[in-house]
Amino acid sequence: MAGLCEGGNEPPGSLKASKHEANRKFILKHGANMTEEQRERTFLSAADERLLLRQYELQLRDFCRRFNPPMPRSVTGTAFHYFKRFYLHNSVMDYHPKEILVTCVYLACKVEEFNISIQQFVANIKGDREKASDIILNNELLLMQQLNFHLTVHNPYRPICGLLIDIKTRCPLKDPERLQPGIDELLDRTFLTDACLLYAPSQIALAAILHAASKIQENLDSYVTETLFGRSATDILPNLIEAVRKIRSTVKSIETPPREMVRQLEKKLEKCRNQENNPDSQIYKQRMQDMLDEDDEHSIQTYARVAREQASQEERLLGITRVLSPSA
Amino acid sequence: MDEQACPRCKTTKYRNPSLKLMVNICGHALCESCVDLLFLKGSGSCPECNVPLRRSNFRVQLFEDSMVEKEVDIRKRILRDFNKKEEDFATLREYNDYLEDIESIIFNLTNNIDVIATNKKIDQYKRDNRELILKNKSKIGREEMELEELLEEEKQQEEIKKKELVKLELEEKKKKIREKEALIDELMFSNADAKNIMETFASNVQAAKEEAKAVPVIRATQFSTGIKFSHQRQQTFMPVPKIEEGPLYEYEAPKQPTDGPVPPTWQDLQEKGYVNYVEPERSEQRAGGYRANISCMRSLQEALAGLYHVSDRTELVS
Repeated sequence: MAGLCEGGNEPPGSLKASKHEANRKFILKHGANMTEEQRERTFLSAADERLLLRQYELQLRDFCRRFNPPMPRSVTGTAFHYFKRFYLHNSVMDYHPKEILVTCVYLACKVEEFNISIQQFVANIKGDREKASDIILNNELLLMQQLNFHLTVHNPYRPICGLLIDIKTRCPLKDPERLQPGIDELLDRTFLTDACLLYAPSQIALAAILHAASKIQENLDSYVTETLFGRSATDILPNLIEAVRKIRSTVKSIETPPREMVRQLEKKLEKCRNQENNPDSQIYKQRMQDMLDEDDEHSIQTYARVAREQASQEERLLGITRVLSPSA
Repeated sequence: MDEQACPRCKTTKYRNPSLKLMVNICGHALCESCVDLLFLKGSGSCPECNVPLRRSNFRVQLFEDSMVEKEVDIRKRILRDFNKKEEDFATLREYNDYLEDIESIIFNLTNNIDVIATNKKIDQYKRDNRELILKNKSKIGREEMELEELLEEEKQQEEIKKKELVKLELEEKKKKIREKEALIDELMFSNADAKNIMETFASNVQAAKEEAKAVPVIRATQFSTGIKFSHQRQQTFMPVPKIEEGPLYEYEAPKQPTDGPVPPTWQDLQEKGYVNYVEPERSEQRAGGYRANISCMRSLQEALAGLYHVSDRTELVS
């Protein structure tokens, strides 16, 4: 198992570092009086979390593919974005990915104007549908908050469309529609990496197009260097080439996490997850009940508080007049 | 209610029902007979505060409280000079401050607080605003003139109406008498049946009445007071508030940093043939203002924006 301090030497602000920070915070909070050894046995490490997230990203992809009615690709892209961004600053142990996953898709449906009701939505989920809709609706606001309410996502699909228009207009490539399968393949796979958090959507789109071109043994290099960039931006070209190369290489290096390991980690997660956010736990049910009761008690409490405040204010006022009176 | 009494001779309203209290600028009351007695020579001093007064300035006390009388006097005098209007101020706030100033001056003078300083203040104000005061005075004069003219016109109209009414009534009477006489003549000298004659006369009268009714009603062009509608409308302009004009607004086209190659212009879309590769809009889409070149432009802009983006965190988390 990877050590806890593995992410400690990452450059601050990098994706790894912030994920590691989320993991460390959770462990410090919930394992405050444990030894280093106990912690390692009880909690997931940052590397474990990453492995689990990879597994759930695969699930997210399959969920979106099987979704009925079929959803536009932009919904999938947006949901992936939300999922990745949510776990940049939150630990898997705090919020279970299987719950956040569906919430992300639900929110993405709304944001991308894919109109669907919650009943229709949970019809795609196996198991207790009522519970699922409760979980989704309870988590929706939390998710938005964790995304800092930046809900607009720029997916690479429109840039692909734009680049194809540009290629058709300015490049003598024969039948550019042949590129489409290669493009789709790469784009689908980029969502299993963190590329969409690191590169501009247009850069990902360009990488996809170049990847597709190389697959059908066409060369678009001259189009990129001459037509797209022109002479004015030759100094920026190396940077773009590097970005495209990195996107393609990371996409190539995706591997599915070993099943046995995932099963072990899931078991461990069930034990160490934050019970306050587990809808099956007693604590969670209690908390929900408290919130319901609070509404009833609210008015009584408010009244008591107002009365108390008034009394203290009066006392203060009287105190002041008593101080003033000798001089008056 | 307190019994009104002259402070000098102690006569009360009860003892002398025709008691008339008079006041002068100092605000102290005297009864009419005391005024006659004390101000035989035309001028003298107030028996209570020794302020020199003129007899001609005495007037009947309208308010029971003589302080109110004094205040009314002072207010009249002050407002003659402090005659700025709301239009003379840039903001409502300034106007309100000015009104507040006036009130405090009047209050000070009425209650003899800081009289010297307040008078100085008034003099200062008069000196500072001489032109404006004159202008506003003439303006007020003009307004009053107009009002008087209106009143005069109204009076004339009323008189004409009255005369007409009298004339109409007279005619009516004469007519009735004439008809009666005709009827009697007819009855006396005609050979026809008396009943028939009565009926024809009755129907004649009826016809005449209906004719009088048929006279079209003249459309009202005036208020009942005689003021013309149009005239009124011209006068009800709202005062245009004064607005401090700053420097003129200059439009600057918004800059859109794209961090990428420059996208083609709207013109290029047509000329270079970009539009040929997007689905042309349908007529129902056109109704909503959609054109194919809009989506074409958007795709191209998004394709080019951010291509120059340099990620500081170049490593990918695997």
